Amino acid sequence: MTGIDDVLALFRDLEPAELTIWIESGWVQPERVAGGWVFHEIDVARVRLIYDLRREFETPEETVPMVLSLLDQVYELRCTLAAVMGVIKDQPPEIQAAVRAAIKGPRET
Amino acid sequence: MADPYETLGVAKTATEDEIRAAYRKLAKQYHPDLNPGKPEAEERFKAISTAYDLLSDPQKRARFDRGEIDATGQETRPQYSAAQEREFYRRYADQAGRTKYRSEDAFAPEDLEDIFSAFGSGGFGGGQGFGGRGFRARGADARYLLTVDFLDAAKGATKRLTLPDGKTLDVNIPAGLKDGQILRLKGQGMPGLGENAPAGDALIEVRVTPHPVFRREGDKNIVVEAPVTLQEAVQGGKIEVPTIEGPVFVTVPPYSQNGARLRLRGRGIAGGDQFVELKVVLPSGEEPELVEFLKTWQPRHPQEPRKGMKP
Repeated sequence: MTGIDDVLALFRDLEPAELTIWIESGWVQPERVAGGWVFHEIDVARVRLIYDLRREFETPEETVPMVLSLLDQVYELRCTLAAVMGVIKDQPPEIQAAVRAAIKGPRET
Repeated sequence: MADPYETLGVAKTATEDEIRAAYRKLAKQYHPDLNPGKPEAEERFKAISTAYDLLSDPQKRARFDRGEIDATGQETRPQYSAAQEREFYRRYADQAGRTKYRSEDAFAPEDLEDIFSAFGSGGFGGGQGFGGRGFRARGADARYLLTVDFLDAAKGATKRLTLPDGKTLDVNIPAGLKDGQILRLKGQGMPGLGENAPAGDALIEVRVTPHPVFRREGDKNIVVEAPVTLQEAVQGGKIEVPTIEGPVFVTVPPYSQNGARLRLRGRGIAGGDQFVELKVVLPSGEEPELVEFLKTWQPRHPQEPRKGMKP
């Protein structure tokens, strides 16, 4: 169980108010439980990412949603592609070859 | 372990700012979360972070320059939340399973059809269905400045604020608002990103213009300076003074001193009091009779007003 205080303890200059704003803004979505929040590993990693954007890269507050949105889209796309690749791998060799040829084809011309 | 100066691509003589700038630039480029699917980015990022941990600390940098510590800067824990130990976001986001940071229907069958139709048309150019789906972010807060009269701030009012885009916002000024206070209007900021995403808030900083007569004291009290004549101060009497709700009569007791404060209960802000500070005004023209009288006047209670000033 990782509460908000445990997360704050990981950063030397992150105030509760700022993390609360990140939560309220939907940038990080810990689990709501009675009396507070529970941060799962992915939430902690996301807090670190937002922290890097804000502190290390000085990304302006109003630009963070754009960056996160683009990142989320990239990851979403990668997941979808991975699923597609999985489906293709299960196909008979000739179909795989056909798909490969279809993907590569236009690029080579 | 590589030479930290080389890792950051800076000269041994680089200033702190140059080191910082070099680190920023490289870290942005190689941050693993910005480089999913490129394991080498993580190695590079760790090296950059380690180099920066060392060079950004003047003491460590000096010790390294003197050869006292190696490039890993071993002995002390790095300041910056250890790139060496952390799990990057991409580890969770890039796995095949769905996470909550995407929509539940992100992998709908239509998406697959989109992809195949995109393959069929020879590229991803026509592909749709990924853009912004699943991401919801509250809109940014918008900041405005609003100037309010002293009386409006004291009594409360509704002010119309015209926004840069021509829209108007009715701002409810609560009674007792102070200069510099910030009002938050929920949902009146920038629109959210994504479907059903909530808008940001409007943050309105209020400037209260000073009033020529009224002065704030603390949260709820108001002070008004009331000039009184010598006769009014000595003999007492009723004088008219302004309050934020209009003029009222106040009784000045006999023998009121200059600077004496009379309290008008409940005449301040939101149940506070108003204080009337008396300011005795001596005659401005010549008053020979008064001078004549004072010459012969023997006070019954002789005063020594400067007694406390004696050394």
